[in-house]
Amino acid sequence: MRCSPTFNGSTPRRARNDRRGGAARFAAAAWLAWAGAAGAAGPALLPAEQAFRLSARALDPQTLEVRFNVADGYYLYRDKLRFGVEPATVKAGAPVLPPGKLHEDEFFGKVTTYRGLAVIRLGIASARAGQQVTLVVDSQGCADAGVCYPPQLQKVALTLPAAGAGATPAVEAATAKKPYFP
Amino acid sequence: MIVSRHAWWIGAVAVAVVALALGIWFGQPGPVDPSPVAQPATAILGVTLPDPEGQDQALAQWKGKVLVVNFWATWCAPCREEMPMFVRLQSAHGAKGVQFVGIAVDNVDKVRQFASDLKLNYPTLIGGYGAMELSKSLGNTIMALPFTVIVDRNGRVAHTQLGPLKEDQLNAILGNLS
Repeated sequence: MRCSPTFNGSTPRRARNDRRGGAARFAAAAWLAWAGAAGAAGPALLPAEQAFRLSARALDPQTLEVRFNVADGYYLYRDKLRFGVEPATVKAGAPVLPPGKLHEDEFFGKVTTYRGLAVIRLGIASARAGQQVTLVVDSQGCADAGVCYPPQLQKVALTLPAAGAGATPAVEAATAKKPYFP
Repeated sequence: MIVSRHAWWIGAVAVAVVALALGIWFGQPGPVDPSPVAQPATAILGVTLPDPEGQDQALAQWKGKVLVVNFWATWCAPCREEMPMFVRLQSAHGAKGVQFVGIAVDNVDKVRQFASDLKLNYPTLIGGYGAMELSKSLGNTIMALPFTVIVDRNGRVAHTQLGPLKEDQLNAILGNLS
């Protein structure tokens, strides 16, 4: 929705004078009205997938590393994080979560939040080298500006490395719609 | 020049296609005007959602009132924070034809409990992810909460707000519209 400068930049001046100019102006006005209205709806905020960037890699056939890169002014709730692995034949262990920061919330009491970078390790069992696995992560967070995002379900497809082969490159998560709320 | 004119028309057609797609997506009869502000609130007044008892409620039943539709959730602290103010303003402005309606992006048990704890004096309906999509069509492009849409007596969107409303600000808006 922020593409209007490029769009306007391609507008030929002559279009204003030809008989199609009215339609062209309407389309431009509509575009700007849409972009303007979206901007006027509140402070400049990031969509969830940009506020809470998730990537992951396999360190070895038994260990996944999950990285949340939380943008400045945003935070994730530690107790809302959930980790799973597909297919179901691969068993995920308990995640090793960093301590985070304790935050006294008026409504939720003492909650632990993550800001900046949070690196989480997840052990997996019954997987073999070269196997394709999908890491499934649930998360939920808010912005200091006073808005919260619905729970996100993000998936990262990884191919497990051979033992001793070193970690795989990090893969950015894809975001899926979350059909229910905890 | 011909190439750039073609590029322009491709752009213009793309806008029209997006507007039409949004219209179809949100169940509207025709193309959607892209500006949600000062437009007929067809998208919101055409909505029917269940209440916590499972009874379908059409928002059109409040047509003719000043309608304050608040998208919220129990997992959203800023939403919970502003709702006692909505309760106060529903009491203060209700007789002048102001109606608050919540749309909870949440599960029904949590909504029922919170509404009871807060002694909510206005209805709240239960939406799922579709409610987030609906709010997006009304200007909540980043799909966060709280998000509030105020519809005037003529069924036009008078104000949309992402993030909490201030009591003075809302009082002033409702004073002007009611």
